[in-house]
Amino acid sequence: MSVPNDDNTSHSQLSSQFFGDLLDSIIVDVASECHRIARLGLDCNLEEGEEEIRLSAQARVRVADPSNSSEVNSKYVVDIFGQTHPAVANEIFECMNCRRSIVAGRFAPHLEKCMGKGRKARLKATRSSSAAQNRYSRGSPISTYSPYSHSTSVNQLSNGAPGVSGEEYAEGAFEDP
Amino acid sequence: MSSKRNGQMTQIPQPCPHLAGFRSRHGLRFFRAIQKCLRVKPLGRASIRRDSGEFPRCGTCATGECTGTHLYACVACASVFCHLSSESSHAAAHAESMPPGHEIAVDVDRAELFCCACRDQVYDRDFDASVVLAQTAASTLGGSKIREAPPENLRKRRRVDYRPWTPDPRELVLIRRGSSSLQRGNGDSSDCLPWGLRGLNNLGNTCFLNSILQALLHTPPLRNYFLSDRHNRYECQQKKNFSNASKKISTSNDNGKNSRLCLACDMDAMFSAAFSGDRSPYSPARFLYSWWQHAANLASYEQQDAHEFFISMLDGIHEKVEKDQGKPQSQGNGDCCIAHRVFSGILRSDVTCTACGFTSTTYDPCVDISLDLEPNQGGSKMASTKSHYSCNVELDSTISSQSFGISTLVGCLDRFTRPEKLGSDQKFFCQQCQMRQESLKQMSIRKLPLVSCFHIKRFEHSSIRNMSRKVDRYLQFPFSLNMAPYLSSSILRSRFGNRMFTFDGDEQYASNELSSEFELFAVITHTGKLDAGHYVTYLRLSNQWYKCDDAWITQVSEDLVRAAQGYMMFYVQKMLYYKASEKLAAS
Repeated sequence: MSVPNDDNTSHSQLSSQFFGDLLDSIIVDVASECHRIARLGLDCNLEEGEEEIRLSAQARVRVADPSNSSEVNSKYVVDIFGQTHPAVANEIFECMNCRRSIVAGRFAPHLEKCMGKGRKARLKATRSSSAAQNRYSRGSPISTYSPYSHSTSVNQLSNGAPGVSGEEYAEGAFEDP
Repeated sequence: MSSKRNGQMTQIPQPCPHLAGFRSRHGLRFFRAIQKCLRVKPLGRASIRRDSGEFPRCGTCATGECTGTHLYACVACASVFCHLSSESSHAAAHAESMPPGHEIAVDVDRAELFCCACRDQVYDRDFDASVVLAQTAASTLGGSKIREAPPENLRKRRRVDYRPWTPDPRELVLIRRGSSSLQRGNGDSSDCLPWGLRGLNNLGNTCFLNSILQALLHTPPLRNYFLSDRHNRYECQQKKNFSNASKKISTSNDNGKNSRLCLACDMDAMFSAAFSGDRSPYSPARFLYSWWQHAANLASYEQQDAHEFFISMLDGIHEKVEKDQGKPQSQGNGDCCIAHRVFSGILRSDVTCTACGFTSTTYDPCVDISLDLEPNQGGSKMASTKSHYSCNVELDSTISSQSFGISTLVGCLDRFTRPEKLGSDQKFFCQQCQMRQESLKQMSIRKLPLVSCFHIKRFEHSSIRNMSRKVDRYLQFPFSLNMAPYLSSSILRSRFGNRMFTFDGDEQYASNELSSEFELFAVITHTGKLDAGHYVTYLRLSNQWYKCDDAWITQVSEDLVRAAQGYMMFYVQKMLYYKASEKLAAS
């Protein structure tokens, strides 16, 4: 077919040609598919989608601009009803398990021990069963201390990772007799 | 003419005069001839060959030197010609040189019709039908039906026409006597604010719970269900007490509590409280208590995952109903409980053998869709390029350069429904080949729920490395979302090359009746670190956005929500997103 000393040239020519043909074929594949999608109206959502992306990009620019009135920490402000609220919810209601009066913001930790759930409560329960009986006779109010609404303790994984927040539980409800 | 299919317009393009002329002259003869020549490769690619060994060449190009690789076969005389461009087209030359009737050709490698006179690809419904039939026949050599049986629990939802109702005089009296008007609150400002908007007290690291409850309080079908007294907590509790008494269950403290446990009752109480008109923050203590009884493993005072709570809670509502009815309920059609009626959809999973094309299909119910956040995916078909945030360029070009490389919800859904090659270690046993083969897996949505909840997997837990991390990457999400491209019918159609054909699922399920257009109504965001973070819900009411941060409800701009870091997004079917809710409540 070709002279031996032209082998490399014709090989590289052939390879280029093959590559070109393959590339053309792929391009026509895509063109043919897109043409069909467009003709059949299957891409009608494309414009809407692009509009949404544009709006979001605009929004991000506006929000990032420090000169815009950016959102302040909404806590400690007046809400739309004109109310202010303390950092720790101070509504008081009755615990449905033990009937004690509990402050809303402390309800979850109380309930955890009250129901015997959670690691601390289970440990305490095994230590002394009479603690449960003494529980109902206590009427002292819950002591207040500096609040936190985020869990900064290590005790976040429910696989039983050790908790550091032990001190907060000393509310006066479960002292050993 | 066009037909509305699943909310996606499938236009049937008008044939060009040459195609129309050809059809009127040759009709079905043409299709029968073509059908015999359709060769289908395992994954659906159709080509035209007179016999399977045929190697088509352009009849005009010199023998052995055919440079054209894009070949068309004239459907009138079956001669093959190449087509390089509009100017250099032996196929077009053939059409011109012959008497009229040779204008229509078919792409031999793609089975697409082409009009040489119009120099454009053209479409014909009957031709497409032949191709699809050939494709499905090729992938089901075992002789199984082309149309798979849909899951039995997928009944056609009968659509009921809207009928307005006004009370007659007797009913009016009854209504007036049996109701007490809600307090509007002090001052005029409260009057303009949406009903049901009320802060939720944080009971101690319970923002995960509050954020989900806020979203549920304003989930239209759920809100309607409870506000129409469909689960009356007083009746429900009475029933339980009665059944307990008749079953002679011991009335010790614990048993009594458990048998009265009903998350739906607590939800009912919460809806009553939220929509009572009282704007002081509500403490969902009872709900927490009930939920901890239901989900003992999650009952601890520590920050938890909002999504995990969501799933657990829906499960709690379902389980209670199951217990009451005494038999397991299928979740798919949503008839079991309100939780599933609102959130449950059906996912379809197809596993296709790459060797023979045989597809195995399974259906599974789901209450939400969890999506992976992957790096730098642009919009659906856009290439992703690195973008630079530049402040000194005018706004428009900054925006367009930022469009690339941003993760989008639509992009995540595209990824969720794209065909995925299963690893060679996950070979699937093909019933047709009777051996393990490499396969493709593709997900699609068989049935859309009334409310679509999307959960973005921002929390990665690696058990291997024993560490967890949070993915903070921004995800763009639209306010209006069309789910049609992710439906099984659309995915199936695209798998067969988007041919004009009525696939299974279009008629049987009659998904035409249900819109696939959704509107966003709630966004739950997570800020902060994985172990020390905060959940907040943004609600869209009367086209105004409100931020629900535990007890604090504030009004925020749309921009803020768009720019927020979405963790869970709630979309409701547009037809349920009442126009009326955009107007202020009448006084």
